[in-house]
Amino acid sequence: MSPQLSTPRKVPFFRDIRTLKWALQILALLAVFAMFYWLYGNYQENVAKSSIQTDLRFLDNPANFTIPGNDLDQSQPVRDAFVEGFLNTLRVAFIGIALATILGTLIGIARLSKNFMVRTLGTVYVELVRNLPLLLLLTFMNLAVVLQAFPRIENAWLPLDLFVVSNRGIAIPWFIGSPAQLGIGILSAALLAFVVAKIRIRQADKTGKQDRAWLVGIATFVFLVVLIWLLFGYGWELPYVDGRGTTGGLRLDPSFFALVASLVIYTSSHIAEIVRGSILAVSRGQGEAADAIALSGSQKMRLIILPQAFRIAMPALGNQYLNLIKNSSLGATISYFELTQIAQITVGNGSPAVPAFSLTLLVYLGISLVTSLVVNFFNRRLALVER
Amino acid sequence: MLDSVIAAGSVRCGTRDALPGFAVLNDSGEHVGFDSDFCRVIAAAVLGDANAVEMIDLETADRFTALQSGAIDVLVRNTTWTATRDGSEGANFLQPTFYDGQGMMVASDSGYSKISAMDGAIICVAKGTTTEGNAALESSRLGLNWEIRSFDETDLILEAFLAGQCDGWSSDVSQLTGLRSAYPNGSDALTILPEVFSKEPLAPAVLDGDTAWAQAVNWAILATIQAEEFGITSANVDSIRDTTTDVGILRFLGAEVPGSDGAAVLDPNLSLPTDFAYQVVKQVGNYGEIFARHLTPLGLDRGLNSLWNDGGILYAPPYR
Repeated sequence: MSPQLSTPRKVPFFRDIRTLKWALQILALLAVFAMFYWLYGNYQENVAKSSIQTDLRFLDNPANFTIPGNDLDQSQPVRDAFVEGFLNTLRVAFIGIALATILGTLIGIARLSKNFMVRTLGTVYVELVRNLPLLLLLTFMNLAVVLQAFPRIENAWLPLDLFVVSNRGIAIPWFIGSPAQLGIGILSAALLAFVVAKIRIRQADKTGKQDRAWLVGIATFVFLVVLIWLLFGYGWELPYVDGRGTTGGLRLDPSFFALVASLVIYTSSHIAEIVRGSILAVSRGQGEAADAIALSGSQKMRLIILPQAFRIAMPALGNQYLNLIKNSSLGATISYFELTQIAQITVGNGSPAVPAFSLTLLVYLGISLVTSLVVNFFNRRLALVER
Repeated sequence: MLDSVIAAGSVRCGTRDALPGFAVLNDSGEHVGFDSDFCRVIAAAVLGDANAVEMIDLETADRFTALQSGAIDVLVRNTTWTATRDGSEGANFLQPTFYDGQGMMVASDSGYSKISAMDGAIICVAKGTTTEGNAALESSRLGLNWEIRSFDETDLILEAFLAGQCDGWSSDVSQLTGLRSAYPNGSDALTILPEVFSKEPLAPAVLDGDTAWAQAVNWAILATIQAEEFGITSANVDSIRDTTTDVGILRFLGAEVPGSDGAAVLDPNLSLPTDFAYQVVKQVGNYGEIFARHLTPLGLDRGLNSLWNDGGILYAPPYR
C-alpha cells in the first residue's frame, strides 16, 4: 500500500482567511455608511420639523457685521464676508509658514551647534514650546503679551519714529498706491533679480569662482524696487498716532499679530526638530567630503548639508504647514476675523449652522489639499530619481 | 417636548454663568439672576418644583445650535427676538421677559459724552449677537467708521476694555448696567451714554413646531406678570388663596371656584397642572419680585418693564 499523500483539505469559504478579511472590510464600510445615513436622516427630519434652511441661500443675505481693518459694508452679502475671512486665513497661512520655516530652520541648526550656549538655548526653546498646548500659548500671547505688555495707545511705543506699537495694533510704514502697482513692481524686480542671480550662478559654475550669486540677487532686488519707486514717484507713508488710533502706514491688527506670533513660535519648534533630524540623516560622508575640499562651515551647511536635508524634511514639513493652516482657525478665540470667526458670527446672526459650517469645512479642505499638492510637487522635484 | 420634560423630571434651561443680574454663579455654584429665575418659573409651572432645572451654560454663538439640536428644552439667555431668528434659526420666541435697547458704555475719563462724538472708535461687542449688526448699522448711519471687534465672551471683552484696546463697549443697556456694577475698577469708572439705538425684546425661546411646550412655557412667564397685576406675591399667595372671594384670582391660582353646580377648578387645557400659577408665585415670585431681587440692585429702573397700567408694556392675556 503506497503511503497516501496528505492533500491540503479544502477550507470552506466561510473560514477562508481571505474571504473573512474582505467580509470584515465590507461590514465595516457598511456600518460607517449606515451611521452617516442615520445621522443625515436625523438631520433632515430635525430640519424639516423646525423649518431651518439647508441650502446656501444664506450667502446672499446681508452680512450685518463689519470686519476690522476692512471696508466691507454691513449691507454687503454674507458671501463677501466669507471671502474676506478666507483671505485673512490665507494671509496668516502665508506669513506664518514663511516665518516658521525660517525660524525653525535656524533653531534646528542651532540645536546641532558646537557652541554650548547656542545649543542649549535651542534645546530649551524646542522643549518649552513643543510641550505647550497651542490654544494656551495663543491665549497667553493675546491676554498677557498684546493686551498687557504692549503699551496703551496714549503712550504708544514709537521705535525710530517709523512704527507705532500699542495694544491696538502695530502700524508700519507702507507704500502709497494700489496693491496692483505694488505687486507688479515687486514681481518685476524679483524676476529681474532672479535672472541676474541665475546668470551669476552659471558663471560661478563655469569658472569655479564663488561670487555670492544670491547676495547679488537680493541686492539687485532691493536696488530695482528702490529704482521703480523713484522712477514712478511712489511714496512711503509713515504712521502716526492720531487721537485714539493711528493714521497712515499699514496697521497690523493686534489679534493678527498675536495669532501669527503664536503659530510661528509653536510651529517653528516642530520644524526645528524636523530640520535637526534631517540634517543628522544626511550621510556623514557628505560633510566629511565638504571638509576635504576645504569648504567653510557656512558653505558646507548651505551648499552640501541643507539641500540634502530639505529633501528628507520636505514631506514632514508639508505636514507642519498643513497644521499651521488648520491651527489658524484658533484665531476665532481671540477675535481675529478669519474663516472660522466669520462662520461663527454669521451663524449667530441667523445663517443656518449646518450649511455654513459645511461650507467652512470644505474651504479648509480645499486649502489643505492645494497645500498638499504644492508640497508633493516640490517633493517630487527634490526627490532623488532612483533607477 | 412637554412629555419628555415631565418624564425626565427636570427642565434643561440654556443659560449663562457670567452676566451680573441675569445669570451668575454664586459661592455655592448655583445660578442666580433674572434669567435663572425664569428658568425656575418654567420648572415650577411644569413640574411643580422650581429646583427641577438643569442649567446648561452656553456661549452666545452656540445658543441656537443647542436649541436646534435638542440639547436644551428652552433658551432663557438674554436673547433678542428678531424676525431672522424666528424664521431661520428654528426658534419660537415667547413672551419677552425684558424689554431692552442697545447702548454704549465708555470709560468715564475718556471724555465721550455722546455716541456721535465717537468717530473712528474701536467698539467691542459679543460675537454672534444682534449687537454686532446694530453697531455696524449705527456706525454707517452716523458715518462714524467704527472698528467693531467681536469676542466670544464678556470676560474677554472685559480684558480688552481694561487694557484700553476698546473705546466703547456696546450691548443691551441692562447687560451694560450689570457689567458696570461688577467692574473691577469700580462702577464709577464707567459711564453708560444716554442714547439707546435699538429695540431688544429679550425673550425665552423654544424649538419651532412644538405648540404644547411653547404654550406651557409662555403661560408660565405670563403667570408672573398676571400675579403682579393681582398683587399676589410669594409672601401673601397662601393667605390670598385661602381668603379671597375674587373669582379671577381663584381661577388663576387653581383654587376651587364656587359655582351653581358645585365648586370647580378651571382647567384651560394648557397641559399644565391647574395650580401652576400658584406654584410659580409661591416658589419663585411674581415679575416685580424677580425684578426687584436681581435688577433693581444694579440700578435698573422698571421703565418699559412696568405693568401696562403703570406706564409699561407688560400685559398678560386674561386667565379664564
